Amino acid sequence: MKKYFLLLFFVASAVFLNSCGEYKDNRVNLDTGVKSDNLANNALTRPVYGAFSLLIGEGIDLKDVKVFRNDADFMEVQVTGYNRAIYTKRFDYKIDWLDKNGVAVDSKASVWQRVSAKSRTTFSFKAVAPTKDVVDFRINTRKTPE
Amino acid sequence: MKNTFAFLFFSIFLTLFVIGCEEVSKIDTTNDTGKQVLALDYRDFDEAAGKMIQSLISSGRLAKKDGSRYVVSTGRVTNDTMQRIDTDQLTAKIEQDLMNSGQVVMTSAVGGKESNRDETIYSMRETRDSSKGEEFKQETLPQKGEIISPELSLSGKIYQRNLRYDKDKQQVEYYFQLKLTDIKTGLRFWQEEVLIGKRGSNKTVAW
Repeated sequence: MKKYFLLLFFVASAVFLNSCGEYKDNRVNLDTGVKSDNLANNALTRPVYGAFSLLIGEGIDLKDVKVFRNDADFMEVQVTGYNRAIYTKRFDYKIDWLDKNGVAVDSKASVWQRVSAKSRTTFSFKAVAPTKDVVDFRINTRKTPE
Repeated sequence: MKNTFAFLFFSIFLTLFVIGCEEVSKIDTTNDTGKQVLALDYRDFDEAAGKMIQSLISSGRLAKKDGSRYVVSTGRVTNDTMQRIDTDQLTAKIEQDLMNSGQVVMTSAVGGKESNRDETIYSMRETRDSSKGEEFKQETLPQKGEIISPELSLSGKIYQRNLRYDKDKQQVEYYFQLKLTDIKTGLRFWQEEVLIGKRGSNKTVAW
């Protein structure tokens, strides 16, 4: 048992050192099997890391919400997030558009739409308001039903 | 004789009891978490229409420079799937949101499908030209040259591909394709394809 932990420690140290000093650019994501191994994707440490990730319930982080008006004066929203989990996360989102009185504007496009976020990657989705009267919005999410 | 009668009575009672217990529930169409089916259901049409509307509005192709609205007709949308689909399930949602966006007026004077046209437009003109027309207040009757011609036409198709995924499963791909064409010039302003793919048991029939 002690030997096993020692081996794991050596592998972890080697993998950690291996990934040190890498050039990084957040715009480019190198997937497992493409980039050098690190603690999260090494064949030996991955099960431990995966179990830990599941245990602490890693999921989606909200990174940024951009709101702007397009050339036709319709509000557009872009939501950017990051999937911290080591598994692909699938979820649905639904946007309710609100006018200046806070009243919901009916739209056939306000339905649950699916997002698939690969593990440890940044993702984004975009939506456009159904009318020019929209000044605000509300976004709800849910786990995609199987 | 007595036994036969009792058995018959019991059978009828049991049948009525079972029919009475059949549960019917209404679908919560806003937050439906029900199982997916291999065929196209209303959720697929909602998803496809939603994406189409978003794409069309955000493209900015419907914004006229002078701020007026385009007159749009719904042309032919072909159902090239193995299912009996009324393509209005897709186009009606899109038409509704386009009109509510304030950028478009739909026309019922022409269209690729009977359901897109309103017969009253032409029957009133026939009435005007017949002896019955004299019964109407003349200034309330539609005159010649009043129908506005559409500027844009929305058309497309829905098609299906069935593939064998493995020994037990099949893959069904549904492609929703729509395009918006300028009727005067024939130029295409916008087009979009939405793919909905499903995998399921070989025993399930996708039509």
